[in-house]
Amino acid sequence: MDFVVLKEYLPLFAKAMILTLKIGWMGIAFAILIGLFSAMIKHLGVPFLRYVVSVYIELFRNTPLLVQLFFLYFGLPKIGIDIDAEFCGVLGLALLGGAYMAEAFRSGFEAIEPIQMESALSLGMNHFQAMGHVILPQAVSISTPAFVANIIFLLKETSVFSAISLMDLMFTAKDLIGSYYKTTESLALLVIFYLVILLPVSIVGSIVERRVRYASFGD
Amino acid sequence: MQVLGIDVLFKGINMQRFLEGLWVSMRISLISVLISIFLGLLVGALMTRRNPVIKIFTRIYLEIVRIMPQMVLLFLVFFGSTRVLGINIDAEISAIIVFSFWGTAEMADLVRSALISIPKHQYESAAALGLTERDTYVHIVIPQTIRRLIPTSINLITRMIKTTSLVMLIGVVEVLKVGQQIIEANRDTSPNAAFGVYLTVFILYFMACWPISMFAKYLERKWN
Amino acid sequence: MMNKVVKKLTAFGLVAVAALGLMACGSANAASGDSESGSSASNNGYRTLDEIKEDGTINIGVFSDKAPFGYVDENGEYTGYDVYFANRLAEDLGVDVNFVSTEAASRVEYLQTGKVDIILANFTVTDERAEQVDFALPYMNVALGVVSHEDNVITDLDQIGEDDQVIVISGTTAETYLTENYPEIQLQKFDTYAAAKSAFENGTGVAWANDNTEVIAFANENEGYTVGIESLGDTDTIAAAVTKGNDTLLQWINEEIESLASENFFHKDYEETLLDTYGADYEETLVVEGGKVAE
Repeated sequence: MDFVVLKEYLPLFAKAMILTLKIGWMGIAFAILIGLFSAMIKHLGVPFLRYVVSVYIELFRNTPLLVQLFFLYFGLPKIGIDIDAEFCGVLGLALLGGAYMAEAFRSGFEAIEPIQMESALSLGMNHFQAMGHVILPQAVSISTPAFVANIIFLLKETSVFSAISLMDLMFTAKDLIGSYYKTTESLALLVIFYLVILLPVSIVGSIVERRVRYASFGD
Repeated sequence: MQVLGIDVLFKGINMQRFLEGLWVSMRISLISVLISIFLGLLVGALMTRRNPVIKIFTRIYLEIVRIMPQMVLLFLVFFGSTRVLGINIDAEISAIIVFSFWGTAEMADLVRSALISIPKHQYESAAALGLTERDTYVHIVIPQTIRRLIPTSINLITRMIKTTSLVMLIGVVEVLKVGQQIIEANRDTSPNAAFGVYLTVFILYFMACWPISMFAKYLERKWN
Repeated sequence: MMNKVVKKLTAFGLVAVAALGLMACGSANAASGDSESGSSASNNGYRTLDEIKEDGTINIGVFSDKAPFGYVDENGEYTGYDVYFANRLAEDLGVDVNFVSTEAASRVEYLQTGKVDIILANFTVTDERAEQVDFALPYMNVALGVVSHEDNVITDLDQIGEDDQVIVISGTTAETYLTENYPEIQLQKFDTYAAAKSAFENGTGVAWANDNTEVIAFANENEGYTVGIESLGDTDTIAAAVTKGNDTLLQWINEEIESLASENFFHKDYEETLLDTYGADYEETLVVEGGKVAE
C-alpha cells in the first residue's frame, strides 16, 4: 500500500464522509418522523389514511432503494418534477426508512396490551398522559432493537447514492479507481471510513439496547 | 403513451429481457439463501459452544456483516479478490459469495438464539427417555429450530432480491441495467422513456418481493 | 454490567483490528503484484491467444449503454461500432464471443483482473492508461467535445460560471482533462452513460463534456442541444486494449487490423453503425483504417 497516495486521498474521503453523514442523518431524522406518524395512524386506525399508509409501507419495504432513487431522480423529471441529487437522496432514504421505522414502532405499540391504556385512563390520566407516561416509554423500549438495526441499515444504504452522482464514499472510491487505478488504497480507505461511521453507531446502539432491555420487565 | 416511454417496453423482446433480468436477481438470491441456511446451521451450532476462540471469531464475523455495506463487500470481493488472492471471480459469483457471507451471519445468529431458547428440560427429558444426543438433535432440537427459521429465511430472500439491484454496479446485467440499456437504445425516439422504464423496474421488484414477504408474514402469524 | 460493556468494546476493537489486518495483508500482496505485474499476471491475469482458442470463447468488454458505439438493441443483441469490430475479431479467431457489459471507470480494472480478454469500449489511448494496459493499433480518432443547451451555448470553457456544473462520466478522459486543466470548474460526476445523459436532459449541469463523438451524437439525436466546443485538448485515438503483457493476443489484433485495411473494414463499420447518427461528413475524420492515423 502506498502511504503517500493514502495521505493524498484522505481529504477527498473526509469530504465524502461529510456528505454521507449529512444525507444519512437527515434522511434518518425524517424517516423517524414519517415512521412514528405512520405507526400512529395505523395504531389508531385513522379511516382511509391507514390504507394509504399500508400501501406506502408495502411499496417501499418491497423495492430496493437504488430503484426508488432512479425513479425519483431520473424518472420524475420526465413528468415535470425536478429534484436535485442531494434532496433526492434525503427523500429516498426518508421514504425507505419511514416504511421500516413504521414497522418497528408498530410492533412496539402492538406489544402493549389495551388493558394498560384502560387502566391508565381509569386511574384518572387523560389520553395524552397515558400515551406519554405509560404507552410510549414501553413501546420505545420494545422497538429499540429494531430501531437501532434500522439506523445501521439506513446508514449502510447510503452507499447506493453514488448511482445518482452524489460524491459519497463509494463514489469517491470508484472514481479514484477509475481515474488513477489505485484500487488497493481506495478500497482500504473505503473500508476504514465506513468503520469510522458505523462502529460508533453500532457500539452506542448495543449499549442502548442493553439499557432498555433492563428497563423492560415481565418477559 | 409514447411521451412517458411506455411504448419502448413492448418493443422487440424488451419485456422478456426485463423478466430475464429479474430472473438473474432471483437466481442469485435463491442460491445465496440456500447456501446461507446450510452454513448458518453449522456456524450457529458452533456458536453455542463455549470455546472462547470460536466466540471471538464469530463475534468479529457478525460485527463485520452488521456494519459493512453490502456494496463495499461486493467491491472488495469483485475487485479485491484478484489483486489479493490472484483468482478471478466473475460478477455473479462475487454476488453469491457476498450474499452468502451476509446471509450465513444472519442465519447463524438466529440458529444460535433458537438453539439457546430451547429449554434445558427438553434435553433432559430426551435423555431420560433414552434418546442419544444425535437423536435428540434430529427429532427434538432441529425441527423446532427450523420452524423458527423458515419465516426469517423467506424474509431474507426478499431482502436479497432487493439487494441484487446493487450488482448492476459491478457489471451484472439484471433488471435495472436492462432498464438503462433500453432507455439508451431508444433515446432518439422516446426521450422520456426513463419514467416508464424505471417505473416498470420498480413494479417488477415489488411484484417479486411482495408476495414472498406476505407469505413470510402469514407463516409467522400462523406459527406464533 | 460495566464488565459486559468492556467486553463488548474489546470485541469491537478486535473487529477493527482484524479488518485493518486484512486490508494490510491485501495490500502487501497487491504491492508485490504491482512491482512484477508481468510475471504475476501470467498465472491468472490473462489468457494467451492459444488459451482463448482452446476455450472457444473470447470475453470482450464493451459498453451496453453507449449508442451508437456499444449498446443493446430491442432484441437483446449487442450492437454498435465497437461491437461490429468485436464480432469480426471473434469470427476471424474462430471463437464465440461473450460480451461483458462494462462502465468507463472499470475498464482498466476488468483487464487487470482478467475479467475480460479485450476491452473494446471506446477506450481512448492515454499515457497514464498505457502504463496500466497494452493498447492495440487505433481504429478511431477522438477529441473532447462539450455539448450544451441551445439557449445557453458554451463555446468557451471560460463562460462557465462559479456555480455552474459540468457533467462528466467517471473514469473518462474528459474528467481527467478538466480536473487537470480547469480545476475551478465544478464537475458533476456520473458512473454510467445512461445516468449522465438522463441527468443532462433533466436539466442538471450547463454542459456535458465527453468524447466529441459522443456529444455530437447526442446533439444530433436530441433536439435543443448544440455542440459549442467540437474539439478540446489534443486529438487522441481510440483503440482496443488487452491486459499488460498479453503479447500474443495484442500482436494478433494488430495483424488483424492491418489486414482488414484491404477491405476497408472500418469504413464499412462506420457506414453500418454510425452513418445514421453522424452522416457522411465525419467519416474521414473519425475512421482510422489499418491502424494508420492520417497526419
